Formats: sequence, structure tokens, C-alpha cells
Amino acid sequence: MSNSTNLDKLRPIDFCDVLDRIGGDTSFLKELLIIYFQEYAEKKRLLQEAIAREDFTQVCELGHSLKGASANLSLSRLQRIALCLETAGRERQIQLAQEAARTLETEIQTLKAFLEGNPPGKFV
Amino acid sequence: MKILVAEDDLICSRILQKNIENWGYKAVLARSGQAAWEALQDEELRLSILDWIMPGMDGVEVCRKIRRRKKYKYTYIILLSAKDRKQDIIAGLSSGADDYMTKPVNFLELRARLQTGKRVIDLEDKLLLIQNQLKDIASRDSLTKIWNRAEISKFLSEELERGQREKKPTGVILLDVDYFKKINDFYGHAIGDQALLQVVSRLKRKIRKSDKIGRYGGDEIIIILPNCGLTEIKRVGERLRLSVGKRSIRTELDSVPVTVSAGCATSELPGTASADKLIKIADSVLFKAKGLGRNCVVVAGQELEPLGERKNV
Repeated sequence: MSNSTNLDKLRPIDFCDVLDRIGGDTSFLKELLIIYFQEYAEKKRLLQEAIAREDFTQVCELGHSLKGASANLSLSRLQRIALCLETAGRERQIQLAQEAARTLETEIQTLKAFLEGNPPGKFV
Repeated sequence: MKILVAEDDLICSRILQKNIENWGYKAVLARSGQAAWEALQDEELRLSILDWIMPGMDGVEVCRKIRRRKKYKYTYIILLSAKDRKQDIIAGLSSGADDYMTKPVNFLELRARLQTGKRVIDLEDKLLLIQNQLKDIASRDSLTKIWNRAEISKFLSEELERGQREKKPTGVILLDVDYFKKINDFYGHAIGDQALLQVVSRLKRKIRKSDKIGRYGGDEIIIILPNCGLTEIKRVGERLRLSVGKRSIRTELDSVPVTVSAGCATSELPGTASADKLIKIADSVLFKAKGLGRNCVVVAGQELEPLGERKNV
């Protein structure tokens, strides 16, 4: 495993992996990240409502959806947190869902901060 | 070639779309099972990528619905899912999917799998084309290329049923080339065939698109006329007779004078509920036309008023 690949694993986004998936097109990756954050904003609102009324089906569906979107962009940490959210919904555990939602938000902010300093293309 | 991408996740959908379009396909997007099903009503959509989990109807349900339909050509389906357990893959394929891929998608693999799907579609198209060609060959007379006896009888039965439903008469005209045996004996069978081809060609020019023409026997031609009653059939029969006999037929050997006799019947007559009975009546009046000296038209129920230039036999 090369050093750059090791570095990618530590970052919130694995640029090598995602760019490999989309043919190395960094401007397309930027477009996808914009969509991701827009979708997240909407899902965050729905998630808060679902947790408030303990709608576990909705929590599970939102977790599943975020897990898929994160996996497609090689956001492995976010993918794992989304999986926790999906599991919390499936197992009807409200505390776990609340915790996962909070961690998700923190990780999103971490990703945004990282991308500001490291826009797609910088490592390519 | 168009490919349906049914995926509710916008990111995955965009990535799929971009890759697919880069490979030269046209992507049709759907973000729910219902939208996918609606898009699949387009018969040109033969390749589909369906996500398993979608709002409302899921990918597996769409698969089952596709496989239940009868009239459509084959649709090749690749089912996408994050579910990677053996039992999920088996369940996905059992629903009717041709292929199964786990997410996130490896695009080199997807490209190869789409090529496999395209190959299957192309093979099916070739098979259908050959099947239709064989069906057509089996339905037509080998010399004249008009419908053969079995096929024209089937058309007549269908037309009679439709006519009964819509309360419209169906007409049948049986035509026989006068002295065809003599033409064959005198000029030879090759010239006889040429003459018959010309007769068919002249008749075809005088019938409607909705009419059907077939070879009933050696030199007997049958024409099925939807929505044609006794008054109309008399006129049509005479027009057909004149179209054949008005001038000699040019063959590679000689100019051959050819005329036809015609027997006409319609479903307005009593006892004509079946194709066989209607043809039998048309045949009996054709026989009368022959007896009246040939080159004439006799309509069943109006045998006393034959049309044409009759000669004494």
C-alpha cells in the first residue's frame, strides 16, 4: 500500500477511490459534493423530525440513504455513522439514533472544513 | 441504445448517468419504482439498472412486473443493491433479474456487464427477426408471395368474427384464371407462372389496403374484403375481372391473352357464419361463372344477373 493511499484512509474522503469511480473528473466530484451537502441538509431536517416523533422506519430509511450516498463518494467515516443510524432505526433505539445524528453532523462539519483546505484535485 | 437508471439516490444516479453516457448510451432516469415502471412502457428501453431499495415499489417488484408482461420484447435487468449476502443475491436473481451488482458500483465491471446485456438483447433481436421471417415464409405462397391457403383462411375467420361484432359484412371473391391449363400446356409452366404473377400483380393494384389476397389453389386466387356487402362486391368483382383481361399479359415468350372468372359471396347471405361455408358458396358461384362461358362475375344470390363478357362454352 502506498503512502498516499494510507493518507487517503485517514482523510474524511478517499479522493483516489472516488476519482477512480468517476473517471478522474474533479469538477464532477465538486458537483457531486454540492449535491451531497444539499441532500444532507434536507435529510438532516427529516431526521430531526423522525427522531422527535420516534419514527424508526424513517430513521432507518434516512440512514440507509445516507450510507449509500456516502459510500458512492468514498466518505467511509460518514458511511459508518450512517450505518449506525440505519441500525438504530431498525432496532428502534432512540438514544443510539440521537447519538448517530449528532456524530453525523460533527463529521459533516469536519468534511466541509477539510474540503475548504483540500478541494478536489489538490491531491491528483 | 437507451438504458433505464432507476435509483433514488441522486449521487449514485448522477454517477451512473455520467458513466453510461460516456460509454455512448443514453440514460433515462427514474427515482422511484413507479417512475421506473412508467418509463419501461417505452419498448425501446431494453436495458435496465434497477436499485433494489426505492421508495414505494422496489427494484425487485419492478423486476417481477417486467417478467410478467407478455407482449414486450426482452428487457435485460441489472439489479443493484448494498445487500451482498448470498441469500440476497439469490432472492434478487430469483425475482427475474439477469444480473446482480453490489454497491458501490465498480464501473469497469458495470461497463462489461452492460455489454453482456447488450449482447443478449442483440441476440434476441436477431432471433425474433429470423422467427418473423420464417413465419412470413410459412404464411406465403412461394411463387406469388401472396398469402397461402392456410393463412388466408385464418384471416377470413378473423374478419368474419370482427364483422359479426361490428355488424359489418365481409366479402369473398374467388377468381380462377380461364383456361390456365391450356396456357401451361401451350406455353409451358414457366410462362404459366409468369402469367399468374402478372394476374396477381394486376389484382393487387385494384384492391384496398385492408383487403387480403391469397392463393387458394393452383390458379385460384381469393380476396377477402372487410366491410363489403353485396352491392359493393359486384362492382369490385367486375373491376378485378376487367383489370386482368383488359390487355394481354407480356411474358418473355409471347403476349398471352388472359381472363378470369369470379365468384363472389358475402356474409350477408344466410348460412355463411364460417369461413368454410362462405368460401364454399363463392366457389359454387365461380363454378357457375365458368359454366356461363368464363370471363364473367357471378355474385351469390344474384346468379341471374352475371357481369362480364360471357361466351358460349
